[in-house]
Amino acid sequence: MDWIFLSELTVNGALTGLLYSLVAIGLVLIYKSSAVPNLAQGALTMTGAYVVLAFSHNLGWPLWVAIPLAAVIMFLLGMGIERVALRRLAGRPIVMILMMTMGIDIFLRGTTLAIWGGSSRSVNLGVSYDPFFLGDMLLSRIHIVGAAVAIALFVGFLLFFRTRLGIRLRAISDDYLASWSIGISVERGVGLSWGLASVVAVATGVIWGEVQGVDQSLSVLLLKGLTVAVLGGLDSIVGAIVAGIILGILESVGADFLDPFVGGGSRDLIVAAVLILTVMIRPHGLFGRHDIERV
Amino acid sequence: MAQNDSNTKDMILSLNSIEVLYDSVLLAIKGVSVEVPRGGMVALLGSNGAGKSTTLKAISGLLKAERGKVSRGEIKFDGKLIGDILPQDRVALGICHVIEGRRVFDHLTPDENLEAAAPISMSRAKIKSEKERMYEYFPRLAERKSAQSGYLSGGEQQMLAIGRALMTQPRLLMLDEPSLGLAPFLVAEIFGIIQRINKEQGLSVLLVEQNAVAALEIVSHGYLIENGRVVMHDTAGALKENSDIQEFYLGGGEGKNFHEIKHYSRRKRWLS
Repeated sequence: MDWIFLSELTVNGALTGLLYSLVAIGLVLIYKSSAVPNLAQGALTMTGAYVVLAFSHNLGWPLWVAIPLAAVIMFLLGMGIERVALRRLAGRPIVMILMMTMGIDIFLRGTTLAIWGGSSRSVNLGVSYDPFFLGDMLLSRIHIVGAAVAIALFVGFLLFFRTRLGIRLRAISDDYLASWSIGISVERGVGLSWGLASVVAVATGVIWGEVQGVDQSLSVLLLKGLTVAVLGGLDSIVGAIVAGIILGILESVGADFLDPFVGGGSRDLIVAAVLILTVMIRPHGLFGRHDIERV
Repeated sequence: MAQNDSNTKDMILSLNSIEVLYDSVLLAIKGVSVEVPRGGMVALLGSNGAGKSTTLKAISGLLKAERGKVSRGEIKFDGKLIGDILPQDRVALGICHVIEGRRVFDHLTPDENLEAAAPISMSRAKIKSEKERMYEYFPRLAERKSAQSGYLSGGEQQMLAIGRALMTQPRLLMLDEPSLGLAPFLVAEIFGIIQRINKEQGLSVLLVEQNAVAALEIVSHGYLIENGRVVMHDTAGALKENSDIQEFYLGGGEGKNFHEIKHYSRRKRWLS
């Protein structure tokens, strides 16, 4: 057994997992503030990356201008989605809202494809491709940057949900009608959560765009993000981070063991197994809230 | 219709023959007129499905969430028409509605439940002192302020729902069935606190109850609603003496047919 190789797989897996956590944090943000699982988070991530590219490549502006500007635009887009598509659905059965987020996903993918085409572009974040040596382990620098961003967002949102505004958003996700009854503007709260999730999508899109290039496949990150979010518990920020690390390690170490037997491609099988088993065995995930039933 | 101005001035709330439609077809209440004097306590009585909750929702604006709307009549709060105002803005004006079934935020602590209801403009120090005031009214909540609210007992949840509503600084508090499913001693405790706040702070209260015995002990006036209409309106004392009320809502009286109560809808229409 090659222990250095195994620990390298583990650490790189954990780092990749934290990049999945970025997607999951966006999902959790919206779920925690409005109890809606957002199936468009992958497409939002991709759109965020394209908007950054529009400024940095098409207009030639530096990234330190392009990224914050894209964050502002995506925040407005997120708020706009709530205003146009979701506001009239408030209080309707969750399945209709779910279908709406799916519609938004398809719409965003179609729109980006029409505007930017299908070819892959790179972000050129300026992070070196040379490996980073930790002892004898080889680590990817962009993954380290991405993991750091994930941790920073995690700490930031953990604090945010303890503020007055954060408490209000959690209240909305618990009970729309009760929130209205005490004067909370449910619509504005949900809009804000979509805005914030869209800003997270910009960060996610830039990191993942640097890792694998910006193209339509970025939207498929939804599947990994959703798996992480479900495993962690849909409304738990802590869960998004812990589950990201777990899934990342399972995926990289597990694939190393399984690939020789199945001839490759076992990564996706592991992700699918995690998602299915979580829903079967522990539907509220590792840290998610239960629906409280008092007798 | 003769509107007596000197009479409406000291009314904090007046409903003038309002009608409510659900889904644009279902007529849930048919011309209800109710008045709550400033600093007064009034009860809406009646059986299940009579339209009491719908009346409260029309006042708080929460009808909107259930695709209902006020199709006729006017609602005046503090002399101002509020029919077109959003629910959250009505709360800012000073109307707070404690909805049926308590509906505390299960996954928040009682402390966070109270904090969520504080107006955005309220200062940190004021929020703290207001929370202390609620804990003084309801000492049981203070003991459990860091628990998950979903695990509180029914009585504690009702206290929390009322405390949460009071955090919005209402001038009119509307309570929908606060006694539902609670032991009599808890009902007495909760009603006692409401009465105390009414006396000390001059808070106006509109109470919806099926438990007419308990309600008529603390209010000054009551309205009896049946089938979406006000069929009787009188002082609490007179209602307690009324033989029909005794029979159908207080569990006393003797052998009368339910149909006979309908003559009140002709004889004792509040508006006429």
